[in-house]
Amino acid sequence: MSGGPAQIGIEGHALAHRFAPGRGLEPVSFAHEGPGCVAIVGPNGAGKSTLLRVVAGLLRPSAGAVTVTADGRAIAPPARRSIVGFASPELAFYDELTVEETLAFVAEARNLDDRAGHVRCALDRVGLASRAHDRVAALSSGMRQRLRLAFALLHRPPILLLDEPGSHLDDEGRALTAAIVAEQRRAGLVLLATNDERESALADSRIELRGGLGHPA
Amino acid sequence: MPTRESSSAAVWAILRKECRSEWRTRYGLNAALLFAVTTLAAVSFAIGQLGDRSDVLAALLWMVILFAALASLSHAFVREVEGHTLTMLRLIASPTSIALGKLLFNLLFLGLIEVVTVPLFLVLMAAPAPRWAPFLATLAVGSTALAVTSTLVGALIAQSRERGALFAGVSFPLLMPLLLAAVRATRAQWLGVSAAAELRLLAAYALALLAAGLLLYDHLWED
Amino acid sequence: MIARWLLFLWIAAWTVIALLWAPLVPLLGATTRVLYFHIPSAWITVLALAWSMGHSLAYLRRRRIEHDDHAAAAAELGLVFCIAATITGSLWAKAMWGSYWNWDPRETSIFYLLLIYGAYLALRGSIDGEERRARLSAIYSAVAFVTVPFLMFIVPRLYFTLHPDPLINTHGKIEMDPRIRICFYAMLIGFTGLFAWMQSLRVRVTRLARRLEAAAAEPARRAV
Repeated sequence: MSGGPAQIGIEGHALAHRFAPGRGLEPVSFAHEGPGCVAIVGPNGAGKSTLLRVVAGLLRPSAGAVTVTADGRAIAPPARRSIVGFASPELAFYDELTVEETLAFVAEARNLDDRAGHVRCALDRVGLASRAHDRVAALSSGMRQRLRLAFALLHRPPILLLDEPGSHLDDEGRALTAAIVAEQRRAGLVLLATNDERESALADSRIELRGGLGHPA
Repeated sequence: MPTRESSSAAVWAILRKECRSEWRTRYGLNAALLFAVTTLAAVSFAIGQLGDRSDVLAALLWMVILFAALASLSHAFVREVEGHTLTMLRLIASPTSIALGKLLFNLLFLGLIEVVTVPLFLVLMAAPAPRWAPFLATLAVGSTALAVTSTLVGALIAQSRERGALFAGVSFPLLMPLLLAAVRATRAQWLGVSAAAELRLLAAYALALLAAGLLLYDHLWED
Repeated sequence: MIARWLLFLWIAAWTVIALLWAPLVPLLGATTRVLYFHIPSAWITVLALAWSMGHSLAYLRRRRIEHDDHAAAAAELGLVFCIAATITGSLWAKAMWGSYWNWDPRETSIFYLLLIYGAYLALRGSIDGEERRARLSAIYSAVAFVTVPFLMFIVPRLYFTLHPDPLINTHGKIEMDPRIRICFYAMLIGFTGLFAWMQSLRVRVTRLARRLEAAAAEPARRAV
């Protein structure tokens, strides 16, 4: 985390998103400063994934906004790519590329220095080094989940957005996730969207979304 | 740590990845080549040799190219959407970089199809020898305009329900001026007349659409 | 309310006047009468397109759904008037020159507009999600807007036009008799009024439908 921003904050101002009449994220506000881990909890359909996507700059909300500040400077949604690591169940990779090729591609597109180093580091952290030359198509769902985590960690972002990181993972995998969260929260921010009590227990604060009503933090 | 983004690095990375993916699977190229050759064969079989009809020849050439493009260039984005890899792309590159990477790939792809199809066309239809400079210039500029339009429309319809079915219909109005100019230019070079005006128009068209696209791609993916 | 009836009366009255009082253009003979319907239809086609594209661009700028409502409504109406212009034009062509369709520059242009309208509406029809539909169709509209001038450049150079051009062509052989001119402009005004009225109706319907949907979803939400 060396060289990253000293202070990170995120704030939601009456954030809401409407997918269809009656479906979506109800207005929610929150504010979190500095390193740590925040859990986003709520029933299915409450909008946990939606919230993460808005923070990542992938989704423009129907109403309200999320402000992300690093060292006091606000980071606009188009620029969030480089400071955010995002891992979500619907994230998919190209079946015909190998694990290593996938991460190398990501490193190249992100214009990282020492791409090979970054890739190796990420693979080691998620325990995929032995499968580096296997095609993505050949990976089990647990391995794919690890690849998603590697993808999120590759560029060592100050903010980690994890949507149900433990899905498809065995006990060893879950321990891995906990370790990643523990390391990240020391100098950076982790937002963890989950239904799993074990995962939300990792956090020191929560944003609760009550599907249909929302809960101002 | 926060990295310094480079658009050209992203564009180049995406282009290389597209080429690699295409090479590994060869879905698109095989299908497109087959389609182009089949269309050509059908035309040749039905019409025979047209050595003296430069107007029909010019029109048929561009129809074959158009059909090949319509059949294959939409896949660039449709596959991303269907494979759910678009989110990953959006997280590592700006929309403009993604679009440029795909555009360059589509250009290469179309070029490859033409390298096979155009000589075959000239031979099968017993076309008169073209004046190579204007002929190739028209092909190059016309194909660029075709690729620019197809990439943009492909990105649009990839997010719709109908996808493939819509691509031809939605592209065609945008392609009409281009088609008319390209056919006239190709015909002109066979008639020995200057095609400069049409070429200028084609170039302007390609540039205008490219510029519009570069402004608009930022709005394409917001969910 | 009153305005609507005045509009109808205006169009009805001027139709009758045009058919009974205005003289025939010697060159066009009995087909003169089409010009009271064909040209205003073509005019509205272009006006509707401009209106729709303008609102599409405004939507991309400001992201207010009202702009999309206008863009969509204008496109639907524009399509209707475009079809009317195409058909009346084709019938006129048959009566005057013996052929229903010639790819005469004007015919090509109107066909092109028909395609743009069709493509825009087809695209809209296939996208789910109000915001996404508005955004993507606005992008398409913006791109189409860029291509329109190119067709204007290409088309006149294609074929010599047989199209009578009393309004723009200053050395055309047809000049408008003042009585024809009055009726013509009156019809132009009438058609524009018709478009404005239908447009406002269509936009209101869209808004009402949206409110209805939102209201219907409310009880389902509260029950959660």
